[in-house]
Amino acid sequence: MLARIFALGVSVVALAVPSLATQIGVELSGTAMVSGRAVANAVVWLDAAAGTASRAQKAVLHQRSLKFAPQVLAVRAGTVVDFPNDDRVFHNVFSFRDGKRFDLGVYPVGATRQVTFSEPGVSRLFCNIHPNMAGYVVVVDTPFLATSDADGRFRIADVPPGSYTWNAWRATGPVAAGTIDVRAGTVLEVAWP
Amino acid sequence: MAMRTAVVIGVLVLSSLVGQPVMAQSLSVEMDGTTGFSTEGETAAGSAQLRLFGDLTRDYRVNVEATWANRSADVTDAFGAAYPYGGKVALSEVWVERIFRRNGMLLGVRAGQFRSPFGIYSRSDHAYQGFLRAPLIRYDDYWSISNNFLERGVNVVVGGSRLQVEASVGTPGDIGQSRRRGGVSGTIRAQAYYKSLVVGVSRISSEPYAPARYATGRLAFTGIDGRFAKGGVIIRGEWLSGRPWSRPETNGWYVDGIVHRRFMGPVTGVVRAERLYYASPTAFSYGGATFTEWAANRQTVGARVRLPAGFTAQVGVLRQSTLLAKTSPFALDLAMTWSMRRN
Repeated sequence: MLARIFALGVSVVALAVPSLATQIGVELSGTAMVSGRAVANAVVWLDAAAGTASRAQKAVLHQRSLKFAPQVLAVRAGTVVDFPNDDRVFHNVFSFRDGKRFDLGVYPVGATRQVTFSEPGVSRLFCNIHPNMAGYVVVVDTPFLATSDADGRFRIADVPPGSYTWNAWRATGPVAAGTIDVRAGTVLEVAWP
Repeated sequence: MAMRTAVVIGVLVLSSLVGQPVMAQSLSVEMDGTTGFSTEGETAAGSAQLRLFGDLTRDYRVNVEATWANRSADVTDAFGAAYPYGGKVALSEVWVERIFRRNGMLLGVRAGQFRSPFGIYSRSDHAYQGFLRAPLIRYDDYWSISNNFLERGVNVVVGGSRLQVEASVGTPGDIGQSRRRGGVSGTIRAQAYYKSLVVGVSRISSEPYAPARYATGRLAFTGIDGRFAKGGVIIRGEWLSGRPWSRPETNGWYVDGIVHRRFMGPVTGVVRAERLYYASPTAFSYGGATFTEWAANRQTVGARVRLPAGFTAQVGVLRQSTLLAKTSPFALDLAMTWSMRRN
């Protein structure tokens, strides 16, 4: 009996190994450029196959020094985003225009409110008290996403090698898209005219 | 000189608390320009503010604000929402701040020149909400607590997200028409927060702003304020009572409604009802007449409209009764603001 169980276990592991091997991810790096100049806060993501493992995630978007920090927050659908008020003035964050629509009301320093971003889309954030505060939450339905830094660089970690459709968003331009074959060392250059 | 000393002392105090290496962070520059007109006294006004603010280092925040404002007539309180009019450039809020957090508690220390932490006091609460005038109980020269009262000293806030106590001690650094006479000024404020409701109670003790030849004793006020926000509607208000100096008594209140619902798009609607009353055992003059008590009621309906390219239009219609009606029972205020920020 024990021998049969052992043989069954070995068989299962043997069948699983090739599958596991294909799941070992690589890092996809790249740069985002507009008219040849690096652009910060561009969101780049790869379309994931249906059924890609998903789990509840959390993220934080601060209201600090009368700014949203980060100004662009990219999250996967289903992510719960905390909005702590880190300023000693009141803020009134809202998003009415598109994406997830909400109004957080006013709350003091040290307090936090939450929003669950369930559906893909772009939510434009404003503060009804401070007219120069503006930010974005970009929600995508994939775990393979990144936001470019001040030098336009981005890195998407743990991408299983294979062919993907990539997409790139920035605040004041159209969504760019293309296909890419991801292998170790692959570099993605996202360029808007 | 006193201002510089206060800032230096504040920075030294904060520096003694530094535990992390200094890292350069982000500063922003913001500039606003406003022009407006009120039918009350046919008053035209213009103002400009320049601010430098943000994270000086990873732990320290800084705010430096210069303001200039002028108007064609001084017979009304039109456009005095958050800044004084005098035709001169003045430094308003200039401070350095550090906020410490641990286990859900916070300690904030601010040093420099800042608005007196009494009631609903921040610049943005009054300057950008859609009202073109300060509440009567917070306007310069109405024997009350001016929005332009500034303290040069240290401000500390301590507490959690549900209950906070804020205290400041310093000397007055007022920039408005009403300038307190110096000396030591102290303010304490407690604020509680539950769901959509924020309630605060404040107490200030300071030197009077009126001349010493008749204004003896201390300025002392107690106030209660509240805010409630739900579904794009904010209800807020203040009540205060006290003495601008030893003998007169002042009390008053205002209630604001601020509505910004999705269907309103770029429009924010505002309404305000308010009352101010003060009495003096000795007669005083106002508008060419002599009084021993003074009362004013005002109701305001207005709107703020966000426009493209950084412009904001504001309009307010006012109905005034009791003694303010002698100046103008109705008034229309119009203003256009342009604002920009560079991060």
